Amino acid sequence: MKERRLQVVLRIVGLSIFLIVAIFPLVWIFLTSIKPATEVYTFPVKYLPSKPTFEAYRYLFSFARFNVYFKNSFIVATTSAGLSTLFSLVAGYILTREQFRLRTFLILLLFFVQMLPTYLIMIPQFTMFSKLKLTNTLTSVIIIYTGFGSAFGTIMARAFLKNLPRTIEEAAMIDGCNRLQVLFKIVVPLLLPGVGSIFSFCFVNSWNEVFTAVLFLHTDRKMTVPVALYSFVSKAGIQWNVMAAGIVVALLPTIVVFMLAQKYIVEGLTQGAIKA
Amino acid sequence: MLVPTFALIFFVNLYPLVRGGVISFQRLTVFNLNNPRFVGWSNYRAIITDPGFPRLLWNTFVWIACSVAFQFLFGLILALLLAKPFPGRGLYMGLVFYPWALSGFAIGLLWSWLLNGQFGIVNDILMRLGLIKVPIGFLSDERFAMFSVILVNVWYGIPFFAIMLLAAIQSIPSELYEAAQIDGAGVFRKLFYVTLPYIRPTIYSTILLRIIWVMNFPDIIYGMTRGGPAGATNILSVHMINIVYYRNNFGLASALGMIMTAILMVFAIIYLVLLERGEFEL
Repeated sequence: MKERRLQVVLRIVGLSIFLIVAIFPLVWIFLTSIKPATEVYTFPVKYLPSKPTFEAYRYLFSFARFNVYFKNSFIVATTSAGLSTLFSLVAGYILTREQFRLRTFLILLLFFVQMLPTYLIMIPQFTMFSKLKLTNTLTSVIIIYTGFGSAFGTIMARAFLKNLPRTIEEAAMIDGCNRLQVLFKIVVPLLLPGVGSIFSFCFVNSWNEVFTAVLFLHTDRKMTVPVALYSFVSKAGIQWNVMAAGIVVALLPTIVVFMLAQKYIVEGLTQGAIKA
Repeated sequence: MLVPTFALIFFVNLYPLVRGGVISFQRLTVFNLNNPRFVGWSNYRAIITDPGFPRLLWNTFVWIACSVAFQFLFGLILALLLAKPFPGRGLYMGLVFYPWALSGFAIGLLWSWLLNGQFGIVNDILMRLGLIKVPIGFLSDERFAMFSVILVNVWYGIPFFAIMLLAAIQSIPSELYEAAQIDGAGVFRKLFYVTLPYIRPTIYSTILLRIIWVMNFPDIIYGMTRGGPAGATNILSVHMINIVYYRNNFGLASALGMIMTAILMVFAIIYLVLLERGEFEL
């Protein structure tokens, strides 16, 4: 009995430590972002701002044009995530429901492609897109992110689809629906958690991608949030309260997506999606 | 109906991979994009004979080994702590798992502020606790830089391991624990004789995937040190990006990229062979 109580205490202590370690960095960067510039550079550190201010955010969204970067990031992430989800559902559906000779080969190909990190092929992509006169456009990164998203999205879609009973689909086929009709009228509505999971994965990855974006998007009007943060680092005279605000803006959307879709994302991860 | 998806993947991912192979044999920079010159193996020679290359490999190895080992260890501890339900567990999981969704680059920047050598909160806490007398240059001191970037990568990677391992732990039939209980097994015996053997396939596959992932994950280092100071945190992936961004030498970067692709393929094949042998499930 005594041992049991000790176990409970240890468990609570352990869980508390993990919680503090996980949350503290985020709390701290937020506190830094609402300090006036003068209180950021003190040592010993001043923990709380004497008068919280949003001047860093005002600076970001007026002077540093984060409204443009945020809009660009949002367009890129939602468009590529939407397209990837669509491509993945169709391909994943065919790969689970039809038998053909190259099937295993195509699945292995997908596994390999989704292990590729974006920056590893950004140079040839850059030369290809510059021949098409498409560098420095949002379209270019949307296409690239959709390619990566479709590869691991298809693997995820396949994992979800494998568990779905086929009897209803077969009935619909007999009623004269074709594959695409069955997919979008019957399968997708049953698979909403899976669809949400695929979309969230693609959104998060596109929102966070930095290296291809830095190479492709170099004018102010085309930059995404990570590119703007990247340029902050080399720019002289950026105060850390502004930098902190920029980091908060970069992190917040994916935190919101994660909190909303947590259940689906966790399910997606454990269902055989292997994009960490 | 597979055509659109695979055409896209071919155009965006596979063909560039082949093109990258071609470029690795060319002298190609931002300034001669349209008339590259064939230079044979000289880009590869330049990469491999670079006096910094052995250190680059060693750094990459240290980065992978330490990051994955501690991500696994802490991820396992967290998963075990979460195994039994408690009130508010769903909310708790959201609050400890959220780092999974964050931008690695932004996280690198964030932690570079926490670990700042002049105004950093970590130094502040360590000094108030009396553990150090003067602030540590976590990112500027060559002796601490690698430790610091690995520390952040461990922080970042705990959720992924915890999520995967927790799912596996929860699939263990409770009869196994009951039987162990009857046999008088304590906490540790249950862990080593029931839990760990049962989730072994998940452990293997997760570690292998994580090795591949961490090897190709320059984001955190890029946000913190960009490979510095004096190359102390320079790993293969970071080095490749530096060649692209600062030297604009696409041929040289592609040669390094092909070497990394070859390493990646070795791991991918190991993964697929284990999969084939049924060590874990696809």
